[in-house]
Formats: sequence, C-alpha cells, structure tokens
Amino acid sequence: MNLGISALNYVNAIKNNEFTVEEFIFESLEHINHVDEKLHAFLRINDSAIKNAKEIDAKIKSNQNVGRCYGMPISIKDNICIEGSKTTCASKVLENFISPYTSTVISKLHSEDAIIIGKTNLDEFAMGISTEFSAYGPSKNPWNNDYVPGGSSGGSGVSVAANECIASLGSDTGGSIRNPASFCSVVGLKPTYGLVSRYGLVSYANSIEQIGPMTKTVEDSAFLLNIISGIDPNDNTTIDNKNQDYLNNIDAGVSGKKIGIVTEMTNSDGLSTDVLDANNDAIKTFEKLGANCEQVSLQMVPYTVAAYYTITSTEAGSNLARYDNVRYGYEFDSSGFEFNSYISQARSKLGPEVIRRMILGGFVPSAGHAGKYFLKALKVKSKLITEIKHVFEKFDFLISPTVPIQPFKFGEKINDPVSLMMIDFNTVTANLTGIPAISVPYKITNGLPIGIQIMANHLGEHSLLQAAYALEKTVDLPEVSI
Amino acid sequence: MKSLVNEEEISEVAKLMKIDLEDHSAHIKRVQKMLEYFDILDKANVESEEITVQEIELDKLRNDKHIPFGKNLLKFLKSYQGKYVKAPKLN
Amino acid sequence: MTKIGLEIHCQLTKLESKLFCSCKADYREFEPNTNICPVCMGIPGSLPLLNKSAVEKATLIAMALDCNTPAKIAFFRKNYFYPDLPKNFQITQLNVYGNTSIGWEGKISVGDKKIRIRRIQLEEDPGRLIYEGATEKTKLTLVDYNRAGTPLVEIVTEPDFETPHQVREFLYILSDLLENLNVSDPGLEGAMRADANVSIEGGSKVEIKNIGSFHDLEKAVHFEITRQQSLAERKIEIVQETRHWDDGRKITVSARTKEEEAEYRYHLEADIPWVRINDHTRNQLQTHMPESISSKKERYVSKYGITPQVADILSSGRYFSELFENAKNETNAKDIANMITTDIMGLLDTREKRETSKLNAEHLSDLVESIKSNKITRASAKSALNEIIKNGNPLQQIITDLDLGHVSDEGELSDIISQVLNEEIKAVEEAKQNPEIVNFLVGKVMQKTRGKADPELTLSLLKKHLGID
Repeated sequence: MNLGISALNYVNAIKNNEFTVEEFIFESLEHINHVDEKLHAFLRINDSAIKNAKEIDAKIKSNQNVGRCYGMPISIKDNICIEGSKTTCASKVLENFISPYTSTVISKLHSEDAIIIGKTNLDEFAMGISTEFSAYGPSKNPWNNDYVPGGSSGGSGVSVAANECIASLGSDTGGSIRNPASFCSVVGLKPTYGLVSRYGLVSYANSIEQIGPMTKTVEDSAFLLNIISGIDPNDNTTIDNKNQDYLNNIDAGVSGKKIGIVTEMTNSDGLSTDVLDANNDAIKTFEKLGANCEQVSLQMVPYTVAAYYTITSTEAGSNLARYDNVRYGYEFDSSGFEFNSYISQARSKLGPEVIRRMILGGFVPSAGHAGKYFLKALKVKSKLITEIKHVFEKFDFLISPTVPIQPFKFGEKINDPVSLMMIDFNTVTANLTGIPAISVPYKITNGLPIGIQIMANHLGEHSLLQAAYALEKTVDLPEVSI
Repeated sequence: MKSLVNEEEISEVAKLMKIDLEDHSAHIKRVQKMLEYFDILDKANVESEEITVQEIELDKLRNDKHIPFGKNLLKFLKSYQGKYVKAPKLN
Repeated sequence: MTKIGLEIHCQLTKLESKLFCSCKADYREFEPNTNICPVCMGIPGSLPLLNKSAVEKATLIAMALDCNTPAKIAFFRKNYFYPDLPKNFQITQLNVYGNTSIGWEGKISVGDKKIRIRRIQLEEDPGRLIYEGATEKTKLTLVDYNRAGTPLVEIVTEPDFETPHQVREFLYILSDLLENLNVSDPGLEGAMRADANVSIEGGSKVEIKNIGSFHDLEKAVHFEITRQQSLAERKIEIVQETRHWDDGRKITVSARTKEEEAEYRYHLEADIPWVRINDHTRNQLQTHMPESISSKKERYVSKYGITPQVADILSSGRYFSELFENAKNETNAKDIANMITTDIMGLLDTREKRETSKLNAEHLSDLVESIKSNKITRASAKSALNEIIKNGNPLQQIITDLDLGHVSDEGELSDIISQVLNEEIKAVEEAKQNPEIVNFLVGKVMQKTRGKADPELTLSLLKKHLGID
C-alpha cells in the first residue's frame, strides 16, 4: 500500500475499493510505530483510530452518506483542542490538560469523516522555528535526521513528509506552517487572517495567527481549505469567503499574471546562495509558464522581524498569563503556598524560549517603554499593510524563498537569538498584513529541501493556489527515504 | 550599542510576569540582545501612522441568550470538594 | 473645598447572558462553578463573543447620562494576576486610540448641582473569592467563577461632589435611572458597587476601595473627609494613597502598597473587532429609550394636574410609576397618585414587600372608585389595602369579608354619636368652646365604627348634636 498517496488519490482509491479505511489506517499505524520513535513527529496517537475506521467502512458499505475525507488519517498540531483528550502545546505546564471542548476546525473534519490519527510535536506554545524548544524533545527531519524539520509546526511537517499520515493541520504565526513545509518538502498554506476559525487554537499571538493545512500536494491543501474555512459564530474575527471552492479551476495556470520578486527578501545578508539559486530558478519557471516577473521593493520588510517579535511577545505575555496552574495544568499541590510565590514557581516550568518571550512581553508594552517598542511596532504593521495594498494594485502575486536558509543541524542556531529571529525574515510579512501565503516544495539541494513562497492579496487563496499548482507541476522531486 | 536595559529592570519585569528567575544571567543576556535588535524600529519613520484594526457591525454580534454549557466543566478542572477551585492563599 | 469623585460598577442584571459568553448574567441562584463555560473560564483556545444587547444597554446608560457616544467601540486587556481572574487579564475599555469606550463627557443633575460624568465603559466582572477555615492557618482561598464574565458598566464621575449627602442623592437617582432604563435591578445583592476618591482643600486625592454597599459609601466618604480635616488641622500632610473601608471598625485604613504603580500593559483585545455603531442604531436606541424621569414628571404635572411634589416622588421609581400608569384613567389620575404616595408607598417601602405584594392596578382603581362613590371611607380603604397586599382578593370580596361597608346611615351614625357624646363628657364641654375638639370626637366615632363612618356626615351630625356651627 502506498502511504505516500495524496488526499485526492486516497479518496478515489477508497471509492474504487482498492483498500478499506481500516486497512489504510492499520498500515499507517504500523508505519508510525516503525518510524516515529526516531522521528518523534507525534506526541500522542489516537487509540480509537481503528474503531473510527471500522465505523466509516461500515457507512461506505451500507451506502450511507460519507464525508468528503473518507476516513483519511490527518494529524493535528498539539495546540489545537479536541474534547476529552490532551492538548499540551508541547509544554510541561499543560502536561495534564484535557480539553472540555473541540475546535471548530476539528468539528468540521469530524463531520467530513476524517480520522484524527494523532497530535503532533511543536516548539513550546508555538514559539520557535525548529521544535528544539519542545518540552518533550525535538522532531527529526526525515530528509536527514541530524537536521531540524523547521517549526513551530515541525511535527506536522514530519508526519506528512514521512507518510505517517495524509495531511496535517498546523498553525502559522510568523511562518510556523511555511517554514517546516519548506524544510520537510511538503506544501504548507497560511490562509488569510480570519478565513479559518481560531476557536480551539491555543492563542499565542491572536491578532495574526491562523490554522492551515500541510499536505503532499497543492490540490490537497485546496481540498482541506474547502473543509476548514468559513465564518464561525464562535470566532468573531472570522470573515465571509462566500463559499469559495478552492479546487475549482486550480489548473488555470499563470499566463499573463504579474509576479513581484520581493527585493528585500531576495538580497538580505542571511540568504544562502543555494536558496537564492532555487528562487531564481522558480522565477524562470514562472516566466516560462507565461507570467511576468519583476522586482518590487517592500521598504518596510527590514523592520518586520523586530515589529513581529515586539507584537507577538506582548500578545503572548498576555495570552499565556492564564497558565498559573490553579485551574488546570500539571500536578503541583498549592497547599501551604502564598499566591504569588506559587504561580511563579508553577510557571518556572515554562521552557526557556517561552520565558524569554514572557519577559519581552512584559517589557515592550509597559508604560515606560511602549512608545519606543510596542506602539512603534503597531505603526510599522500599519505602514506595511498600506505598502502591501499598493503593491497588489500592480501585481497578482509576490514571490520569495520561504526561508533564507536550508534546514540546519540541531543546536546550530539555538544560541544566537538574533540569527534565530532572522529565520522568519521572509515569512512574517504575510502574518503582519494578514495576506495568504503558501510554501511549495521546489528543490532538494545537498539532500535537503528548499521551498518557494508565493503570496497573494487578502482573500486571494483561489488564485494563489492556482499559481502554486502551476509551479508544483513543473517539479518532480525525489521521494524521501525513511 | 550599549544596552539600555539592565539586569535589575529585567528582574522586575520577570516578577511582573510571575516568572521565577533562579538563574538570571542566561536569560538576561539573550533578552538584552533581542531588545537591542528591536532598536531598529526607531529608524522606521512611522511617527505619523495610525494603527490598523479589524471592524465588525453591531448586528453581527452574538444575541443575548442564556445557553448553558451543558456539561460539568468543573470535572475537567482542578477542583476542591467538587465545588470550588482552590487558590493559594493571598497575603 | 471638598472634592469627591465616584467610580461606580453596575451589573447589567437585566441581560440574559454574560458579556462574552452565553452563561447566565444573573449568577445568584447557581451552585458554585455551575454557571461557567470554556469562554468565561478562559480555557485555552476559547474566544470572547461580545453580547450585542450589552452594548445596546450600556449605550442607553450613556445616553441617559447625556454622554457622547462613539461611532466605534473597542476593547482592551488589563493584565494582572489574581485568582478571581480566569485569564489573568480583564477585558475592559480605554480611550487611548481616540474615544472608544461606550460614553464620555456626560452630566446629571443632583438637586441643583451638576455632576459631570467623565466616562462610561463596558467590562467583565471577575469571579468571587470565598474564605473557608476557622483560623489564619487553616484558611483556604476558594474560588467560585459563576460571576466571572458578568457584564459591568463602570461609571466614572468628575470630583464634583461636595458633600456625602450629594453622593447619597446621586446614588438614589442613578439606581432609579438604571431601573427605569430596564438595564439593571440595583436592589440585587452586589449589583452595584462603588469606589470613591476624596480630597479636601489643599490636600492630596485619596482613593477609597472595598466599600460593600451604598450605605457604607456615604459613611466611608464622611469618615474620610473628617480624617483628612483633622490631619489638616494638625498640619499633617495628607498622603496620596489608596485606602480600604474596614466595615467592622467603620474606618478607612491604608491599603498595603505592594501593588505600587500597577503595570497593566494595556493593549487592544484582538479577539474582538472594533464594533461599529451607526447613526441609525443610535437613533433607534434613543427612541426606544424609556421616558426619562424628568419628562415623566413633567407629563404627570401638565397632563394630569398632579402637584410637582407628588409627581417628583411618583416618577422617580419604576414600580410605583408603572402602578400609576396602569391604574389611572381620564378622571382618577390625581386620586390614584395621591393614594400611591400617601398610603401605598409607606406600606411597600422595601423591595421584598413590593415583590410579595399582591396589589395590582385594578385593586387601586377599584379602591379609588369606591372611595369616590362613598362605598367605603378613606380610613377603611387603608385596612383594605393591607388585606389586598396580603392576599390579592378583589376589593368587593374584602369589603364584605371585613365588613368595611360605609356607615352612612344617619340613624345608625346618630346612635353611635350619642354613645360617644355620653362617654366623652369633658370633650363635649370643651368642644363648645373650642371647635378643634370636634375633630377629636369625630375620631372617636371613627374608632367606634372601625373607620367606616363617613367622616363628613359624622362631622355635620356631631355639630348638630353639639349645637355648634
């Protein structure tokens, strides 16, 4: 059985009785057993998966209505809540947290008969770019186990790349879907802010983050986006996409389209030559496909990393304040403790990167410093939004490498905070402006993946997926050997 | 560039955020480096910018209706005698 | 000059649900921690959903207090750690990016004093802390989150009050206003709380918190003024600080300043977009706003000929003004008004009594009608009222049951009068000299007839018997 099958091909195979759901799930679980001890994509496996599979097979057999997913195994980043099971955010402080409710995106997947095969590893509370900050150990890049898989949705990226499941849902605050997609050679989409409900996504930076699909093909991302997008009464920041069908016409191509090459994202200091080469190649490919590519400058880009970390630390400092271990969390008896000293001790179980963000988040919006940092960052965000609006009056898409570098070895970047931050250099613009962005696997160089990022205007997913599809169809990448 | 933020200030902030910093120095140096990097914002020339916000119409808001959660939520939480949540004592 | 300012928190108890979730707004009847959900408990991944009616009701309050109201409102986070705050931040309102709270710069009259309203904001109430255990050692802090997320309107005044009495008057006016607007029942326990700030001539401003009731508020303000005055007399500096009202010892005490200048790191609540309130909505609210107390009073005076004094009393409270509106007709408005203000208000002077009373508008109009047509006397009516309030029986039944029928038969009355004259020989003598004493004798007749005697007839018969004019 080919576990590397795409979602759409899986559905066809089930419909054609090539195998049953139970068979596929069984094989997937076997495979996970076989490879995940090394790869550590998963924090938890769903022990009802076979039971769910049998139920769906029974539905299919008795000709009942079956949801669009036909029992396909999907993994979920462990910062998305499912009722009755743990959601730890890869943190010790939520070691014992069992959610009393289910996220909207999961409800939607359930109602389409997807099977949630397990929860995947991440950097603690989604703060990181490599899963090295997970309190439960990092995940390994399937292309080379000595290298990071990217982050923060690293476990999700690995689970799809290693064929442990057909697709995954991750979350993207500053590149956390696109970065691991690039590093693991899978497709990763950050939707327009508000397109997908955040109800059930544990908040890190609630003004800019989104849940999004990580898949083997662009079509699969469109397929999942159809299911998870839409206005949600449980999330007042969701917007109406008027029931857009993202699969429709996905092969329309890019003939006549104008693509802007973001100058600042293709000439920065940290950009690797291999990555730049791949990007230039992709540009040539788009031109062969009939698009017009030209340089465009986004003057605010050099300030975006600082603005991003200032804003997200502030929001994280507030969003994570609730983790005082009083109502839920982990085992630590409060008897005999005074309030302030108890919660300070309880929170000392937060990982080092989270602690640093807490400190930053207490500092930059504080009365004496907000003017210099937080308020200025908000203004940078505003100016960037205006700039992007202007740019999309002329261009249909923007293109850049997803990450300025290829995957790096464990421990290589972890000690230099500034170079760590700079890894987000190309991705945070889409988060700060709310526009959609996708990473498409493009090249394998030195045995490691390089992804290309395409961005479109607000709610421009339909054409964005067309451009991504067109690019994807020109490449024939090797399989990863697991 | 000389750091504008000293150890004492960072300790104060850690207290504000209820973080027990036993080993200050490791975190403090990294935080200082990050804050120094944020100085780049001063060059952005954004003084006259207004902030951008999302908006919603009043009539799109939730209707005022009592709908009980329907489950015993306390069961999922740390509870005391099944009725209350116990908090550490306050000064 | 003494300056007092108030910060009042009113729960919008007339709402069905909490400010950001669908749990019940009135938490009072629930067992601990049974009126909670993932949203008001701040469970990871939950998101606040703003209550549309809360915005509308809060805007009504702002309009009734003559405030400016914004085209868009925004919410902010006030970040601090406390066990009664499930998220360790409170969602509230601020005016840092222009005016975005529910109202600002309003005013209201208290007697002839104008009190300026600085701002009004919508925010959520925290949970409640309960302390269990006999000694300091065994004391446990227990938390009940049923109240967490209850909608609050915070009203902040300028320090325009000069005396504790003005403060008290204002609170009465505000309570009635909130009741009239049908946004809150101020009588419910904990529905209205207030903090005060006090400064005397040349002194610093002192905040007083932890005041349990409005009754205590007046006491606390009074105490604080006295405290500051005595310090000033002894030329001791009045420290700018926060003090707590100690209800046991009835004094204000300095609060431990461990908070110092609290750092709340205010920032926008990104889960709640800015809410656009357009002119059409504002106009709708304006027209649906229940008649203000002052225009109600004007209407009572001009349309029904009620005296300003009576109209004042009648219009200030919702219960009685509704009773009046429902009982009155073209001809009896004045009499209804008088019966309410003279007799009924005294009998139903507390919320409990009003709640258990079985008196309705029909009883009232029947009573007034019966008095007018001489079926019963005013004195009998009083007895009838007591019965009606107790059992709600129709007036006719009560008249029969209690034998309250009018005694207007001259013969019967004359007999009784003769009795009285025989018993009160001294008074009879004095009455011949002093006509005032006749009233005393009328009273005696009323006593004998248990109030059923027609007073006018009694008086004229008595005078006849006594041979005076």
